[in-house]
Amino acid sequence: MRPHLFVGRAETPIAFVETVSGGVRLKALDREAVRAGLQPGLTLADARARVPELEVYEHDAHADHEWLERLADGCQRYTPSVALDEPDGLILDIAGCVHEFEGERRLAADLEERLARRGLLVRHAFGDTPDTARALARYAGAPAPDEKRAVKRLPVAALGLDEDATTALSRAGLKTVGDVMARPLATIAARFGEEAAMMIRRLDGSVKGPIVARRTVAKIGVERRFAEPIARTEYALEMLAELATEAAAQLTDRHEGGRRWEARLFRADGLVQRLRIETGQPTRDVALLMRLFRERIDSLADPLDPGFGYDLVRLDVALAEKLDASQLKLEGGEAQKGEVAQLVDQLGTRLGRARVRRFSARDSHIPEQAELMLPAAEAPAPTPWTAPETGEPPLRPIYLFDPPQPIESMMAEVPDGPPHRFRWRRTVHDVAHSEGPERIAGEWWRRQDIPTRDYYRIEDRRGRRFWIFRHGLYSEMETPRWYLHGVFA
Amino acid sequence: MTGFAELVAATNFSFLDGASDAGAMVGRAVELGLGGIGIVDRNTVAGVVRAHQALKKARDGLLGMAMPPIDFRLVVGARLVFEDGTPDIVAYPSTRRGWGRLTRLLTVGNRRAEKGGCILGLGDLIAHHADMMLVVMPESSARGAVPVSPLPDGDALPERGERELRTILKAVKRLGPDSIWLGVTMPRGGRDRRRLARLGRIADAAGVPVLATTDALYAYTDDRDLHDVVTCIRERTTIHKAGRLLAANGERHLKPEEEIARLFRDRPDAVAQSARLLSRIAFSLDDLKYEYPHEPIPAGWEAQDWLEHHVWQLALERYDYRVPEKMRALLHEEFALIREREYAYYFLTVHDIVRFARAQDPPILCQGRGSAANSVVCYLLGVTSVDPMKYDLLFSRFVSSERDEPPDIDVDFEHERREEVMQYIYRRYGRDRAAIAATVIHYRPKSTVREVGKALGLTEDVTQRLTSTVWGSFSSRFQEQRFAETGFDVDNPEIARLREMVDRLLEFPRHLSQHVGGFVLTQGRLDEMVPIHNGAMEERTFIEWDKDDIDALGLMKVDILALGMLTCIRKSFDLMRLHGLGDHLLDTIAVAEDPRVYDMLCKGDSIGVFQVESRAQINMLPRLRPRELYDLVVQVAIVRPGPIEGDMVHPYLRRRSGKEVAEYPSPDPKFGPADELKQLLRFTYGVPLFQEQAMKLAIVAAGFTPNEANQLRKSMATFRKVGGMDNFHAKLIGGMVGRGYQAEFAERCFKQIEGFGSYGFPESHALSFARLVYVSSWIKCFHPAVFCCALLNSQPMGFYAPAQLVRDAVEHGVTVLPVDVNASGWDNSLSSPVRGGGPREAGWRGASADVSLAGVTVTGGAFADATFPSGASAAPPLHHPADGPPPRAGEDLRLGFRQVDGFRKDWADEIVRVRTTPFASIEDLARRANLPQRAMNLLADADAFRSVAKERRDALWDVRRTPPKQLALFAAAEVPELGVEPDAHLPAMPLSEQVAADYQTTRLSLKAHPMQFLRARFAAEGILSSAQANATKDGRRAKVAGVVLVRQRPGKGNAIFVTIEDETGITNGLMWARDFEANRRAVMASRLMVLEGVIQRSEEGVTHLMTSRVQDRTEMLRLLSEDHALEPPLARVDEVIRPVLTRSPDARAHHPRATHPRDVRVLPKSRDFH
Repeated sequence: MRPHLFVGRAETPIAFVETVSGGVRLKALDREAVRAGLQPGLTLADARARVPELEVYEHDAHADHEWLERLADGCQRYTPSVALDEPDGLILDIAGCVHEFEGERRLAADLEERLARRGLLVRHAFGDTPDTARALARYAGAPAPDEKRAVKRLPVAALGLDEDATTALSRAGLKTVGDVMARPLATIAARFGEEAAMMIRRLDGSVKGPIVARRTVAKIGVERRFAEPIARTEYALEMLAELATEAAAQLTDRHEGGRRWEARLFRADGLVQRLRIETGQPTRDVALLMRLFRERIDSLADPLDPGFGYDLVRLDVALAEKLDASQLKLEGGEAQKGEVAQLVDQLGTRLGRARVRRFSARDSHIPEQAELMLPAAEAPAPTPWTAPETGEPPLRPIYLFDPPQPIESMMAEVPDGPPHRFRWRRTVHDVAHSEGPERIAGEWWRRQDIPTRDYYRIEDRRGRRFWIFRHGLYSEMETPRWYLHGVFA
Repeated sequence: MTGFAELVAATNFSFLDGASDAGAMVGRAVELGLGGIGIVDRNTVAGVVRAHQALKKARDGLLGMAMPPIDFRLVVGARLVFEDGTPDIVAYPSTRRGWGRLTRLLTVGNRRAEKGGCILGLGDLIAHHADMMLVVMPESSARGAVPVSPLPDGDALPERGERELRTILKAVKRLGPDSIWLGVTMPRGGRDRRRLARLGRIADAAGVPVLATTDALYAYTDDRDLHDVVTCIRERTTIHKAGRLLAANGERHLKPEEEIARLFRDRPDAVAQSARLLSRIAFSLDDLKYEYPHEPIPAGWEAQDWLEHHVWQLALERYDYRVPEKMRALLHEEFALIREREYAYYFLTVHDIVRFARAQDPPILCQGRGSAANSVVCYLLGVTSVDPMKYDLLFSRFVSSERDEPPDIDVDFEHERREEVMQYIYRRYGRDRAAIAATVIHYRPKSTVREVGKALGLTEDVTQRLTSTVWGSFSSRFQEQRFAETGFDVDNPEIARLREMVDRLLEFPRHLSQHVGGFVLTQGRLDEMVPIHNGAMEERTFIEWDKDDIDALGLMKVDILALGMLTCIRKSFDLMRLHGLGDHLLDTIAVAEDPRVYDMLCKGDSIGVFQVESRAQINMLPRLRPRELYDLVVQVAIVRPGPIEGDMVHPYLRRRSGKEVAEYPSPDPKFGPADELKQLLRFTYGVPLFQEQAMKLAIVAAGFTPNEANQLRKSMATFRKVGGMDNFHAKLIGGMVGRGYQAEFAERCFKQIEGFGSYGFPESHALSFARLVYVSSWIKCFHPAVFCCALLNSQPMGFYAPAQLVRDAVEHGVTVLPVDVNASGWDNSLSSPVRGGGPREAGWRGASADVSLAGVTVTGGAFADATFPSGASAAPPLHHPADGPPPRAGEDLRLGFRQVDGFRKDWADEIVRVRTTPFASIEDLARRANLPQRAMNLLADADAFRSVAKERRDALWDVRRTPPKQLALFAAAEVPELGVEPDAHLPAMPLSEQVAADYQTTRLSLKAHPMQFLRARFAAEGILSSAQANATKDGRRAKVAGVVLVRQRPGKGNAIFVTIEDETGITNGLMWARDFEANRRAVMASRLMVLEGVIQRSEEGVTHLMTSRVQDRTEMLRLLSEDHALEPPLARVDEVIRPVLTRSPDARAHHPRATHPRDVRVLPKSRDFH
């Protein structure tokens, strides 16, 4: 999306699209778009034909999930037991949690208000079981005097069966959950499977489905609980090291290494202290991890304060990536790369990731753009440096002037010869040997009128070698200027 | 001056590599004063004919550039790019034989590649090298197999490469010591001179001369940016990310001799070598002498003699040994022409193909058309059935005879059986002598915007927004307005750049595809004429030249086309034979011109009829009032953009009805006879309607040579031609005024010809089509059930969806019976009028037949009295005493399983196979036919179990319980394996829901029309039914509701046609473009709409609702059923759902491209809705 391309418009309908087989289709819509008559599932082209001003963004399922996770985190203020009901629901087990809010309605009101502040539209329902609550929240229309009757009035879709079974039931004339419940369970099971029968039992309350514990974000989590809170930070860190060893073992089994680690030290008084570290490469190196944790602690504004002591230490691996069993190093080839990575991690943790940089080759003909300084930890897919050719002098010097130095050229051959002599910093150099031109045309897509450069490798009478260029062809301008761009060693 | 020639120049047929077309390359070479140019593309000769033609045109002064010097030479060959790491080798055939070797070499590579591409190794060249001049390039440019050097071209060769180059030079030199060069470029890579010296040393050591070249990829310096863009498209990257995939500089353009001389000042010999190489090449594409295949002639006969003998024989037989004098004269005249042009083989070949089709059992229906097809010879040979004596078609032949082009005969075959004919041709001539012509797929606005946009780094979203506003057919030029419409700032530099690039890339060839049916046949090996490729379809091969190339070189082409209506007619004949309704042939029907058939057509009653079934045609029928075959010829041709935009329709109609006298302006008597135009236009009342007439107008009235007239037509068809057009305009006006015509009249003629250039319909085609119009009308008129049945069984074809065809049949008195497991087969069928379905059979009957809905409980007040009225008024006379065996009115049409969406033929066949006795229950059927669950569900959904006493809901409930896979085990026990179950007491399905379910499964309902359930609601709002609207007074305002049948935006797009349907009939809405934008969403998205406007009735009784407002009421369809998404079927030609594909107005208006040939040739040109 390039917003500057559009003529500004307020209140444009917005849609999120996803690319599925058969084209780009609408995935989610804002209110304006719904008002304009669009529905999810429509092809983008179709939607555009109807609502030409529609603004479109790529749907990001992952971001949606993360957002839901964050909401779930937030809901933990009401109850520790929060389950995700993907893609857009949360199930809270509030049994025993309502006292703080003087009743479940207050709790719900509080929750709705908080979410409304973030611009969310919330529908909620209470139920004796997670399934009824879920079904009621998603499908209930008008309120009913009691939960059982409300459930019976739900459309068959609330059974949560697959689409085929749902339509089949509805087409058979069984439009509500109650209609289905009225039929012998065996006949339903014979047609729609045990699963359907189970759902009915869950909704009528004869079976209580489990609340699916919220899937932890962390791939691996290990923890130590202590009967007696431990009051020494040093001891807590030893525990952390033990946990790291356990986690590393699990990672080894999975052929993975962690990149994002989170340690949480739970104080007996309820305060939680978090330590997050991130490595540039996936790792299972406990020593490295502990060094990083220590550095993180050192860099904290407030030092760790155990207070009355920690009663729980937990370590989560939030992000893990493939890492095969490392080779034993004999001559250190492989290890060196690892050492650089370690150095980068170490420096980055102390100085800030953005401040540790390295040169990286870039794919460009323009000499000054062929290399770039990038944050070292970002580890971009490295463009290989062009290997110098054997038996050939280098085409370009290692050192470039930035910006190139203007020179005064004398007696250059038109149209494509180098000068016979030139003045640089008040010194005149007589050209003894030259080769070129290497012609590099301007990047027309950046600006229309970038002049072409003709580069020459020059050696003066005293054996000094220069890299000079004429900025512009004689056909492009009347008197192109000359520059010295670098010197060969 | 050594007369330097650039001998390594690519065109845009080096797909996504070359960035200029052949014309530009040749033109620039001439402009630079080069001694010549050698066109070589990567492993192909697909572009060389264009270069050849460009030079010819330039010599004729038609390219809008300086006249090439007489000794300017064009040589053609190919750049061989090897997969085995061998450096590229440019190969120029020096003789005709060498050309044959080259094309065979490329064929070997093409056939080796599974699909697309050309896989060659050095060994292939060694095997085919004879009579070729070879230029070895120092590096390979193969992509993929060999990694391309990461640095720009012109780097030092690695040692290994150098050694390899020596070996290659040595190896190639052995092929012809005197005919090999080492091609060296000076790419400004920084060390060009050292490189030249080194390569020079290698060449000298090998005893091979060095050839100076630029290895040009484009004509002008300024083309560098376009080359960068195509590189990005090729590499699937963006200009910002491409980096060193792009060339470092823009040096690969054609250069003048002085610059080459300066670049190569160290080796002047290299520059001189180009002239030497040029002098060694004797071959030109003009040397390709085409020879017709000799197959169809008995031994000992000369082709011409055999043709004459055979045709005379046929004439004697047909006329019972008394050949009429006029026929004799015609035959003599035609034979002379055929002899002069040596076309005898051509006629015999077409005859042979037609004879094969007719000899099959059952015979394949076929019919010829095209300029050469209207000859007496073709008529007697049975290629066509339009009697040229009767229709006086001489003048259409005239054009083709003076055009220096091979004759043109297209033969249509039944679309389901064309493949048999094609395979016969391959069998008969062999794959080395027969292949399909290529179709060059060009960059079209949409694809260009998409790909250029991607290359420039614009997101899919932006480009889609742009492409969604490109209307398909006419606008090949990307218009400023289109950009503005999308909300983009036209002055935005990125957008400006996109526009410019799109304009330049448009019309570039994109890839080769196979022509729909144009066969090229030769006597000698075809692969020694042109390289052959594997087709995308198995068992197909095609050559790499397209129709225009073939025309240019004078190769013979026979178009083997597929026509759905022929299938339908054949199926109609089969049904009639089966049911004792007579034994018919195309010829026996078309002779008698029955007034009742024309009566039907005059009423506009033509749904399903070939060619004249579109709304526009239906509206035209009552105005044109056809009474004989030639009227149908006009009818077919007149509803086309050409005549419409040339403003010829109204003058024609006025003159035909006698309201206006036909005028024929005369030239100055000293130039020609006063009635020269009358001679030309008398059959069409002085209005040029056919392409031939327009062409001939230029010849007769403006003194064009036939060749010029043809070029005029072609240059109008292919826009983007440099200059030229103005010349023709001046020449035509000048020619006509000079011969004494009024300037104003001349100007009008030019306008008309302009309209025709691309969209005119040739009379030679309209004639053959008219016959099929008549035959299909005849069947529809006398055997509506047969016609409907055959149409349904030939789907997909035609304009309308099955629902509309069935409805039309019912209105003509046919009883249509639903799909049923105990009565249906895969195909729709006719059952005897005695019905055996039992009391529950709810058929949809026309006229007085009542609608029985027994067993269906109808609920809901508004929906209660749901009977289906039918418009019996339109029913034609079904039986006439004088009409041979009396056709039985009211034959029943039984729908077949093919109407059930998603059902499969093998399931249907299995049901029929095991149905020795009627099925007693669902379980019975499940046990005997052993169908998968999906099939059973579909049958239940489609309500096909009625005859086993099950209503749709019960059936659905039951099939879900029947697990078919376990049945075999229990079947042995011969007991019903499923225990008795308590009745589920399912609620009855309301009729409205039944209808919705019918639409969902079979896309039509025999029970009722969806609109009638909503009638009360609409009536309450004062909204009329179609019947009421059609009875409303002219000029009254009205609101009409209906489900959408078809939306079209024909011609210039000034008007949008929307046809809606309800239980009483249809309403034709017409909306002007100015009202469209405000109603865009409703027009585009609705399936049920309310049209508001003013009723307008024409003299002929055609009623339109001049619509100013459209309401989308689609959501009301949901009232019918919650569970069945009711989507009323749209006609097949609805342009919103099925946008008309972008087509280039090709050289000949009927030239098919990409889609189904029927659609391409027959649909009126129109704009799509996106």
